[in-house]
Amino acid sequence: MATSEQSLRRKRLDRGIKARADTIFAVASYREILYLMLPRLVPVGLLLVMPLLLQGYWNKVLVYACMYGLLALSWDFLASCGLFSLGQSLFFGIGAYLAGAMNYYLHLPPLVTLPLATITGGIVSALLLSPVMRLRGVYFAMVTLMLPLLLMKVIETTGVFGGTHGLSGLSPLPHDAFAAYLAVIAFLLCMFAFRRIINSDYGLVLMAIRDDDRAVMSGAINIYWRKSQALFISGAVGAFAGALMTHHYQFLGMSTFALDYSILPVAAVALGGQGSFAGAALGSMILVPLSEALRALGGLRIAIYCMVLIVSIIGLPEGIFHFLERKYHQFETVSEVK
Amino acid sequence: MCMEYTSLKKDVSLVLGTSGINPKKGGPVMRRKVFLLALLVLCIVTMALVGPMPGPSTATAARPIVIGVPTSLYTPFGREGLKAVKLAVEEINAKGGVKVGSENRPLKVAVADTRGGEPGTPVHDALMAIEKLITEKRPDAIVIGPFRSEVLMASMDLVAKYRVPQLGTIAQTPKFQFKIKKDPEKYKYLFRVTTDALVDATYLNNTFDILKNGYGLKNVYFLYQDTLWAKAFSGLMAKHCKKTGWNQVGFEGYAAGATDFSPALTTAKEKKADVIGMVWDVPLGAGMFAKQYEAMRVPSLLVGFVPPMASPAAVETVGPGVEYHIAIEFPIGASLPLKKWPKSGEFLSKFKKKYGALPEAAAVNSSAYDAVFILANAIEKAGSVDPDALVKALEQTDYTGASGRIRFNAQHIAIFGQENPNKTGMCVIFQWQKGKDGKLRRVPVYPSSLAEGKILLPPTMKK
Amino acid sequence: MSLLIYGLINSVILALYAVGFSLTYGISGLANFAHGALYILSGFAAWTFIHSLGLPFAIAAPLAILVTGVVGFLIYWVLLLRLRGIALAELIVTFAAGVAILELLTWKGFYGIRYSLPLFIRGGVEIGSVAIDYQRLFVLIAGIALVILLWLFVHHTRIGLAFRAMAQNERTALSVGIESDWIGSLSLAFGSALAAVAAMVVLPLGVMESTIGYEVLIYALAVAIVGGLESTMGMVVGSFLIGYGQIAAAKYIGAKWMVIVPLAAIVIVLAIRPSGIFGKYKELEERV
Repeated sequence: MATSEQSLRRKRLDRGIKARADTIFAVASYREILYLMLPRLVPVGLLLVMPLLLQGYWNKVLVYACMYGLLALSWDFLASCGLFSLGQSLFFGIGAYLAGAMNYYLHLPPLVTLPLATITGGIVSALLLSPVMRLRGVYFAMVTLMLPLLLMKVIETTGVFGGTHGLSGLSPLPHDAFAAYLAVIAFLLCMFAFRRIINSDYGLVLMAIRDDDRAVMSGAINIYWRKSQALFISGAVGAFAGALMTHHYQFLGMSTFALDYSILPVAAVALGGQGSFAGAALGSMILVPLSEALRALGGLRIAIYCMVLIVSIIGLPEGIFHFLERKYHQFETVSEVK
Repeated sequence: MCMEYTSLKKDVSLVLGTSGINPKKGGPVMRRKVFLLALLVLCIVTMALVGPMPGPSTATAARPIVIGVPTSLYTPFGREGLKAVKLAVEEINAKGGVKVGSENRPLKVAVADTRGGEPGTPVHDALMAIEKLITEKRPDAIVIGPFRSEVLMASMDLVAKYRVPQLGTIAQTPKFQFKIKKDPEKYKYLFRVTTDALVDATYLNNTFDILKNGYGLKNVYFLYQDTLWAKAFSGLMAKHCKKTGWNQVGFEGYAAGATDFSPALTTAKEKKADVIGMVWDVPLGAGMFAKQYEAMRVPSLLVGFVPPMASPAAVETVGPGVEYHIAIEFPIGASLPLKKWPKSGEFLSKFKKKYGALPEAAAVNSSAYDAVFILANAIEKAGSVDPDALVKALEQTDYTGASGRIRFNAQHIAIFGQENPNKTGMCVIFQWQKGKDGKLRRVPVYPSSLAEGKILLPPTMKK
Repeated sequence: MSLLIYGLINSVILALYAVGFSLTYGISGLANFAHGALYILSGFAAWTFIHSLGLPFAIAAPLAILVTGVVGFLIYWVLLLRLRGIALAELIVTFAAGVAILELLTWKGFYGIRYSLPLFIRGGVEIGSVAIDYQRLFVLIAGIALVILLWLFVHHTRIGLAFRAMAQNERTALSVGIESDWIGSLSLAFGSALAAVAAMVVLPLGVMESTIGYEVLIYALAVAIVGGLESTMGMVVGSFLIGYGQIAAAKYIGAKWMVIVPLAAIVIVLAIRPSGIFGKYKELEERV
């Protein structure tokens, strides 16, 4: 029972503007409209303008960031379906190899290889992971962790598609700014598309599979088909990222299956917050430029990603985005308990 | 049953979410504080490590000429090469710098660790590091260059795009010159000051001839690292051996990240190989192989390129089992002072004086040292650091340094021969032998213009 | 004949890698994916004790084992404590911790031929036509001893039984008086110490470097999964399967295929029968 001493409690209340901007009153005045639109418009506007402002090396960093953002988004999408993969580099590498091989052996131009690699990459990833789709939780994660390593060793051993030395001299994208815009627009489209999908009925079924797959099964829904669809979508996005990188750097090698490409998306989502895709996007936009700025530190960068990952999971599991969102919508006061 | 269900639910629920069985220690507010504190500490530590951002270069009496060194400092070749470059830069600056036109300008080294030698690094990453160095530090020339042949090939387009003259001193793949040949105008900025696999293989082929003709050995087992350069190298040796009548009992390629060579060593022993021809440059595998070879007491002569076993410190780090190992040092002056080529001794004694020990690896260090002087001479000849003028001057290089006499052929690679260091660049083959005092020394045995002794066979092999 | 003997040694080395991992993951149900990092950390710790403090190897080795045990203990208290029950978060966090440790070591310059531990005794012996060095004999003895000790520990001592109880049903264990936090941290400490013991015996065979840490983790995982997580017998069988599998692949297919064996084994076993050969078939938890 409460003691006689005074005790305080913390209250969270919606901000006035949030209450006023609810439902139809969102269009009541410019203030409400701005309140709702600004957090969406400002980042999008910034991203759309960046390719024009940045040159050379930092332009590449922007493309890098969007590409990691795509991987983080695809991770988040899979996580929303209950499939926690530690091997995003699988999708990345598959897309990279498909696009690179098509360009090198069949001499198809990038504008053709990119869409082809995306769709084919999605199909191949879904097929590759279909035998292990039945696994849940940790076991699925372990398989996805091992698969890219396995593929990397197989390529190294058999020497297909260039083996250890890879394929170089692939065709570039027409223009640096074109590549940057392609990356940025794909990233933004992907984020908004995923948000819409998850909020629709289709997404509801996927989230139900995450929460309780047996209940969904007992509702006569074929969860394997849904899971493979989720894998296809996610794999296609990852493959697009891989194909884009291949053409941007004009080089393809087995290092596309590296552990780097698996860890950073997870760190980005952990930092940004899982569930809302904006968190994944925010996390990658923070981590990638940070890692480029820290390039002088060499291997320490990866140690820093890992520490960020650990600190985020333990200290702030909801992620930065949810934290910011809450601060934006609510304020806290302390009041006495009488 | 109920408990099982709840624990199942936990597995499937939001994974990065709230706590498990334990009650929250300290509550959400406490955790957030800890998180923010940790983030703050992380930021501070990062700032402290990265240091203040480099501002625009202050205008001193004369603007320095920037030499970019993007290489993998993980490998001994990169590390020691960088030391050799710094030594050369110091020497030149002590004499007043490089005369560009009418003014004397000092040299400055800008380093970038591409991590290209580390097994897990994607090639994209290494390329980004090179590009960052070029765009931020704006070097007038690049020296040493990438370690891994794959990174070198991928970076050729990058360097050509930014028009920075590059003097490569590590990567040995012959595909380098084939690519230059395909488009000489585009790749004219790229040079190689050191040897390549073709040269190294020729030296070893001649060694094989000596072993066969002079000592009657006949079984050979080839083991190599499955990368561009090592594969080319071993293939050339195997072809030569087949042609000259050697009996090849094996030709095995191991993955670059391999750490267990016992199958190969046992096969070599079973098939009674007289000679094991081994080519490996990744430090981890080379070290493991050296130790396993010594421990398994394989009674074969080890010939080839295994850096830890050829290093000056091999006796301490690997053990007395390195005796009789025949190694190639490319080019001369990299770590073995030769009595018949004093310039190698000069470089190495200066190196030892400054850094306290001889270079760790018996390869390519002297090329890095010579490359700086070649560059300085070319700048003085061209009278400017304009890339195209510099390239023209570089093409006419005729410099005699620790690695021999360096001149470039039409594909911008240094000419190496087997006669005399006064004519061309040279390599040397040496063997670990016990001297009269019982200590193991490295004795050059080929070519005759540099040899100080003859090849000795281990007692187990004397017929 | 030589292939048989080297296959045996290879398998015992794999069993040594897996012993510590098996104790924490298989028997206590705690994911410790920093296993490989702890293995290498103990090696570098011993090296530092030998070269910077001048201690003889006989003292440096037990000290390194102790230090690694303490680090394992700390991993539980700092990281896993707050994540108990969420299996995936445990995996990710310990894996990230392992990678961080390995990359820190590389960044600090811990690589190169200088970093190797001294052999216990130099020299070797001939068995049949095969020369085996004493160090490898030590590995054989140590491996067999550790496996037997592990089995005895887990089946016949109070603490070992407590580990198993915690994995089977934590609430019941709590109600019997087994404090899960303390037991969990002990389990992690023991597992790390076992990794260190393996390191002290196996590392002198070669040089030390962070890349080995990743390899050790994969091998340990492969052995644990192929054999089945909770059983010691499974661990032994798993290590022999993979060890001889590697040697066979090297001889009959090509030396390059050696590294693929453990990875392929993990993927295939997880796809067909995730509990492994000797594992209890936990169908409900692992697949739909």
